[in-house]
Amino acid sequence: MADQNKAEIDGKFYSEILSPSELFAARSRSHKLPVKGQKDFIPDGSEEQRRRLDQSLSEHWSLISEERVERLGNLVKAKWIPAERIVELQSPAGKFWQTMGFSANGKQLLQPEEALYLMECGNLQVFSQDLPLSIQDGYESFLSSSSVSLQQYQVFGHLKRLGFVVHRFDPSLEPSCYVRQLNLPPSRDRAARQQKRKRSPSPGTTSRSVDQTRPEHQDSSSADRMEEEEVQEGHRDLSEGHLSSTSSAGPAGRGRSWWQTDTPQDQSDGSAGSSHTHADRRPSFALFPDLGSKERLSSALLPPDPSLLPGGLEVGTCDVASWRKKINLREVKMSSKEREREEDRSRRRWDVNRDRQVLRCRNWAEYRELLSRRERRSRGRQEHLWNHEVTPLHDPRQPISTEELLEKITVTQSTNLLEGASSIKEWDEWRICFSVYQPDTVADFRKSSPGKPYARVCVCSFDGPVPDLRAVKLLTFQSGDVPVVFAVVDCGDLSFYTFKDFQLPTDVYP
Amino acid sequence: MRFESSRMERPEDSARVVGVSVCDSAPLLWRVEDLRSVRRRGLVGALLGSLPRSPRQNCRMGRPLLLLPEEERLLGESRTAAAALPAPRQDGAQLELRVRRHEEEQQRSFEEQSVLALEDRKSSLLCAMTSPDTGSPPEAGAMDESLQRRLEDLDRSFVFPRSALGVQLSTARAGLSYCPEARAFLQAEWPIRGGQNGLSRDTKYQVFRDLRGRGFCLTSAGKFGGDFLVYPGDPLRFHAHFIAVCLAADEAVGLLDVLAVARLGSNVKKTVLLCSPAEDGAVTYTSLQWSGMV
Repeated sequence: MADQNKAEIDGKFYSEILSPSELFAARSRSHKLPVKGQKDFIPDGSEEQRRRLDQSLSEHWSLISEERVERLGNLVKAKWIPAERIVELQSPAGKFWQTMGFSANGKQLLQPEEALYLMECGNLQVFSQDLPLSIQDGYESFLSSSSVSLQQYQVFGHLKRLGFVVHRFDPSLEPSCYVRQLNLPPSRDRAARQQKRKRSPSPGTTSRSVDQTRPEHQDSSSADRMEEEEVQEGHRDLSEGHLSSTSSAGPAGRGRSWWQTDTPQDQSDGSAGSSHTHADRRPSFALFPDLGSKERLSSALLPPDPSLLPGGLEVGTCDVASWRKKINLREVKMSSKEREREEDRSRRRWDVNRDRQVLRCRNWAEYRELLSRRERRSRGRQEHLWNHEVTPLHDPRQPISTEELLEKITVTQSTNLLEGASSIKEWDEWRICFSVYQPDTVADFRKSSPGKPYARVCVCSFDGPVPDLRAVKLLTFQSGDVPVVFAVVDCGDLSFYTFKDFQLPTDVYP
Repeated sequence: MRFESSRMERPEDSARVVGVSVCDSAPLLWRVEDLRSVRRRGLVGALLGSLPRSPRQNCRMGRPLLLLPEEERLLGESRTAAAALPAPRQDGAQLELRVRRHEEEQQRSFEEQSVLALEDRKSSLLCAMTSPDTGSPPEAGAMDESLQRRLEDLDRSFVFPRSALGVQLSTARAGLSYCPEARAFLQAEWPIRGGQNGLSRDTKYQVFRDLRGRGFCLTSAGKFGGDFLVYPGDPLRFHAHFIAVCLAADEAVGLLDVLAVARLGSNVKKTVLLCSPAEDGAVTYTSLQWSGMV
């Protein structure tokens, strides 16, 4: 192929450098952009169209070929340090310092993408080896796939030109889910902020002598008491091993053990023939001190059997007087009608304590067996359905809400984007590059506490793979509660996409 | 279909060699003359940089120009592109020389600009003095004297501050176009770049070359779900007519994909072209148009 531009080879020095007179004349340049006119639909070869095309093209070339000229006083001087891939300012920073750059070792530094953006805006002049860098030098030196790639710089520049504040994203500085859950106050002086929590006084475990703890409403007749104690002794064999009474152990002396009986008239029907016509009867295995009922006036719980306690522990009597004062404070005044209704309800209410079969149970195991027997019987004719491994989902006689029932028959579970995200391991292909902050916060923006970003950006390209669910989960998890935006670069064009979590509405009232 | 593009290509420029510089494995053009000659060949590319006149907007961009891989390959095949020289590595005496020369040039520029600034001030003074809004016409003699005095004062006391010096921030790096050794790239295999596999890249290239040969201008069309946007002429003047989707002749395409791309095309009022190159180099085109049931 014949060389038609031979004149250009062999050492022709190409430069687009302006002369001093041109530099001087640049101060009166216009800063307006020509308006883009209406486009035509199809070329028709007309002269009019040709003229318009020429005009558009000449406007285009004049804009493109214009070189940046700035007053020396408006330019901030800086130095490129290739070893650290950082730009160091050598004259004081301008307005851009509010949102860009960082300080280290007493010097003001800029990231390479920030420096390149400022060069393109005409605010910064970067020197390398004492010679000024051209924009081309900047692109070729600052941008590389190892630090900031060209595509990432395109996204950075685009967002900066729109006015956003864009910072590099550092995943290690992002508080983890757990830390966020703790919701710690952003305090610098922790000690000053620590408030001593008010400790409520623990219930007094004063050990009083047994004589004082004797309930007042005890039967006057000591004979009854003796009988009770006998009954207690008898029960020792029947009740579970660890509920043995120690009527003669410890400081309790002859006091009753509260975990066995708590009413003077309480009689278990373990021993035949004991009178159990009294309403106040409870199963022998499920005796809990009734501290709430009106009739009970005992104000102390006797200490438990030392054999039940872990070794070496000494527990005195528990004074419950203070607690009892706090309950049942208000007398419920009911009208006669209400009283009737209440009585009626209580009469109809089935009291488990009066159930003979329950009373016959001697321990929890027997009670559970009784319950399961009853349940089986209640199934009735469908009992065979419940006998095997596979049972019906639900017994129609049991109440259940619609929502719960639907949940039982549901095949798929709804999930959210972050489910399982914490266990995904990072990998290099997908990572968040920048955090983007709103432009209207620039006035009060503080680099030390930037606040919550508007979005986080991950840069990718149409040539590369589409982010799969795993990548989306990973990035959403890394970003926390800030939405992740995918900036897709396509040879100069940028498109932004984001994935949002969505819950299908359920048309069921619980 | 063929469109007249006679004005776009001048014979003497068509063989001009442009210097392509590589930044992060992307082919970029920096020099205005290179951009012009590439545009004359009907290759549009994409501008990436800020526009010097108005850097804080995204509507009109400035240099550098990013070439599509197909554009780069076309230039390489027609021997009209060469790898631009990288930044010269200099050290020691050569560096000192350059630094000194730079400082001297800046000093010279400063002196010239001071002179120009003084003249500029004088002329504005003259304008102000010789056309005042006074009621009575001043005496010519007295006018000249005071004017002379003012001008002399200016000569003596005028100081052009260093901070007012106009400084250029060059876009492209000054230097040789390319040295003869680098021209060896023209003959050598053009470096292969890009992440796509060879087959799909070949398909795209053949379609690109065919459409370009018919006079259309092509740009990237990722936003439209296709491979290229096809313009009947220069994109500055015309709207795109087609979205070209390149498929290999034996590639199976799902019906849903065809429907999706057809829908997209009809939404943006462009015709979708399914393009498949045949073995002999000719490309078959199928257009998709959404029509109703009637």
